[in-house]
Amino acid sequence: MISKKKRYRLRGRLWVLGLVPFAVMVLAFQLAPVWSMLSGSFRSDADSRWTWHNYYTALNSPFYLKAIENSLLISAYSSLIGIVVGLVCAYSVTRFAPTVRDRILMLSNMTSNFAGVPLAFAYIILLGSNGVFTLLFREWGWNVFDGFDLYSWTGLTLVYVYFQVPLSLLLLYPSFYGIREQWKEAASMLGASSWQFWRSIGVPILAPAIFGTLGILFANAMGAYATAYALVGGNYNLLAIRIGSIVSGDVTNQPNLGSALAVLLACTTLLAVSLNAWMTKRSARYLTGAAKAPPRKGFVRQRGTGVALAEAKEGTG
Amino acid sequence: MTERNQAGWGHRTLQSLLLLYLLLPLAATAVYAFAGDWQDTVLPKQWTLEWFESLFQDTRFLEALWNSLYLCSISVALSLAVMIPAVFVLTVYAPRLESLMKGIVVLPYAVPGVVAAVGLIRTYSGGPIDIAGTAYLLVGAYFVAILPYMYQGIRNSLLTVSAPELMQAAGLLGAGPVRAFLTVVLPNIVPGILVSTLLSFSVLFGEFVLTNMLVGAHLQTVQVYLSRRMGESGHLASAIAISYFAFILILSMVLMKLGQTKGRRVRG
Amino acid sequence: MNSYLELQSVRKRFGNAAVLNGVHLDVAEGELVTLLGPSGCGKSTLLRCIAGLAVLDGGRIVLQGRDLGGLAPRERQVGMVFQSFALFPNLTAGENVEYGLRMRGESKRGRRRRAEELLALVDLEDKRDVYPHHLSGGQQQRIALARSLAVQPKLLLLDEPLSALDAQIRKNLRSEIRSIQQRLNMTTLFVTHDQEEALTMSDRVCIMNKGVIVQEGTPEQIYMTPRTEFAARFMGSYNVMTRPEALRLFGSLEGSSDSYALRPESVKLIGMEEDPSGHAGRGKRIVDGTVDSVSVLGTIVRYSIEAAGVKLTIDALNDGRLIGIGERRNVRLALDCSQLLQLEKEGA
Repeated sequence: MISKKKRYRLRGRLWVLGLVPFAVMVLAFQLAPVWSMLSGSFRSDADSRWTWHNYYTALNSPFYLKAIENSLLISAYSSLIGIVVGLVCAYSVTRFAPTVRDRILMLSNMTSNFAGVPLAFAYIILLGSNGVFTLLFREWGWNVFDGFDLYSWTGLTLVYVYFQVPLSLLLLYPSFYGIREQWKEAASMLGASSWQFWRSIGVPILAPAIFGTLGILFANAMGAYATAYALVGGNYNLLAIRIGSIVSGDVTNQPNLGSALAVLLACTTLLAVSLNAWMTKRSARYLTGAAKAPPRKGFVRQRGTGVALAEAKEGTG
Repeated sequence: MTERNQAGWGHRTLQSLLLLYLLLPLAATAVYAFAGDWQDTVLPKQWTLEWFESLFQDTRFLEALWNSLYLCSISVALSLAVMIPAVFVLTVYAPRLESLMKGIVVLPYAVPGVVAAVGLIRTYSGGPIDIAGTAYLLVGAYFVAILPYMYQGIRNSLLTVSAPELMQAAGLLGAGPVRAFLTVVLPNIVPGILVSTLLSFSVLFGEFVLTNMLVGAHLQTVQVYLSRRMGESGHLASAIAISYFAFILILSMVLMKLGQTKGRRVRG
Repeated sequence: MNSYLELQSVRKRFGNAAVLNGVHLDVAEGELVTLLGPSGCGKSTLLRCIAGLAVLDGGRIVLQGRDLGGLAPRERQVGMVFQSFALFPNLTAGENVEYGLRMRGESKRGRRRRAEELLALVDLEDKRDVYPHHLSGGQQQRIALARSLAVQPKLLLLDEPLSALDAQIRKNLRSEIRSIQQRLNMTTLFVTHDQEEALTMSDRVCIMNKGVIVQEGTPEQIYMTPRTEFAARFMGSYNVMTRPEALRLFGSLEGSSDSYALRPESVKLIGMEEDPSGHAGRGKRIVDGTVDSVSVLGTIVRYSIEAAGVKLTIDALNDGRLIGIGERRNVRLALDCSQLLQLEKEGA
């Protein structure tokens, strides 16, 4: 009797087996590497002893400090530009009829596949030293772009902006549907001008979505590697590029220093992404009131966001 | 009853500019891929298919293409085999553990590829399991990279078909859990999972950082090959980029069609 | 009489579809007028035209002697309450009520005081610092009402304000809105598709169909004497009959209408065992019928009865007396010819 009961209970727990392969894979390829990296970052490259030295080097060497600064700056600039352009375009796209809107979004979604290595290459064709526009402007005698160099920071920011814009557009446009026409109407009946409405109601409601998207864009740019790598190999002093060359042994073999830098990079992106998570929760608060009238194209929009997030890794870099 | 929003001139101009901006790099690459002689002129002097011809006769490219295809397929297949049972078990038997799973699964969103590569290289070069530079390591890395999409896709499909209720109903009719899963739940979630499968595939097909850092020295995928050839022949590189893009485009078209039919099914 | 609000042949089209076909209406100060009609009859569009949220294609709207044509919504001094509440989610209940005063640039203290007054008026003083998503639907709608009243509009527009609420809350809020309206002597236009709401709340009811007002009058007039078949059907369970059907039932008819209406409670039911002679008399008629179905609706019992080949709905007070009449039973009907209404042709 007892054994039967035991066997029954055992059978009731057999579902655990379904989780075993998942646990093994995650342990082997996610948790173990994270642990190895974390612990490695506290070990000396010289004698494997526990030390803070790697972080000290990372945060004190002018070389690495510059890399961190460059990464932060290019991420901040490209995300801010991406947000502004994305915001304007997202508002504008919601003014179109759904069929036109979906076509525009599809196109911008499609181009967001065009990132990383192919994107860098396309920009070389367009704006490189022998690029179409470079030649065109030279022929027309325009010298606006005379000082422009694709392989400079301005150039790199320009390319980064290119992959930030569609992402920003795809992430932001649904929240414009969260601003209901009746709020505008109610505000106008209470004496608010369009400008007053946006200042007192519209922008505060959009704010969480804007900050959240900013987080995603920032993380996206911080982690971007392929674009910069393809544009000029390992020559840019960017955090991601530095980590890559340290670890793959191009320059020096200092895996623990690389780990420390990687941990620092991961900290910024984790922070940025958690900003997004926090903001999403906040904006859900505003939208629960509006949730009574479910958006008609809910499915498409949800998928759009999913796909946009799929490309959050520097498009496909 | 509201008046239909007819987008004005400003909006139309803005969107046209946006699309122009987004499509320009693509168009330039396409022109370059078909250009015969394009040195110091704005548009090429003649057109040719020679770059595509030489591309598809280039054994190294074909090898890279093959590598891309099989590595992506294996990783996605592995992910399906591991994730479907895991997510199913969690949804049906242990919904309390879901938040833990969510935490694990969302991590790859937040951790950049370079960082993941650092950890993987540290763990698997030297040490007891030395698989550095092999496809095994890459498949493992790919598995983690697509976790978020796979999880989301499988979970949504399970919830759409209300898997827990289906299992209970099957149980009441006398089917064992394994049989109920195979005969009732699995066939119903296939359409939903197809979407996330293709999405994962296209994400992996365009992957560069992990591939380049983990196995770049030994194995070349299309992306890695492209990055190596860029400096040598611009035309050839364009042809690769355009072929790659065409492939991804077809994949996302299929994806969208699937998404639409699925949407209709769910709504209808 | 010099009317407070005047609508003169108001017209509006959306593309090729004419939504308002020349609406005329005069509203006196302090009056609550209901626009009643099925969805798509143009009642909400009319309200939006008055509010300035939709542009007229023709006609005039005059409020207190001032032509509203060409004025922006914010210049019209009209308040509006929406079906979906439309409270600003990023502001507290109190801030929502203050919003209109803030737009006018009133001082913080004045705003605050006025908001407190209005919150007290709608009985939600304790909810001042609560965000809308923490309020129930009924509370949200009361805040919305307070918000539109805070700026002391000359005219209040209510666009199906109760439709998104549960039945019980709807009934309570109905009488609350009416009593606030009367207390403030607020001229109000109320849009609804619910005839019970229209009858219980209004000073005057206008039935709208296909972009025109087909009948207007006090709730009693509207209920007791619907003029057209549309009004009769829309006002409730009126039995609408063709001329031949009415002839079969009543034997002879007054007038020459094509259709007639009979109020469901104007017919008396008599059991077969009772003596019908008590119901006979001038203008009275007794007919035999069969009960198709019976349903108890609380205080009344609704019978579906076939008599002389005409299907009739008959309501009787639920006094326990007639419950015994089961389905497929035979009954007698006592008809009163004076209760039969002649209906005008549609669109006449």
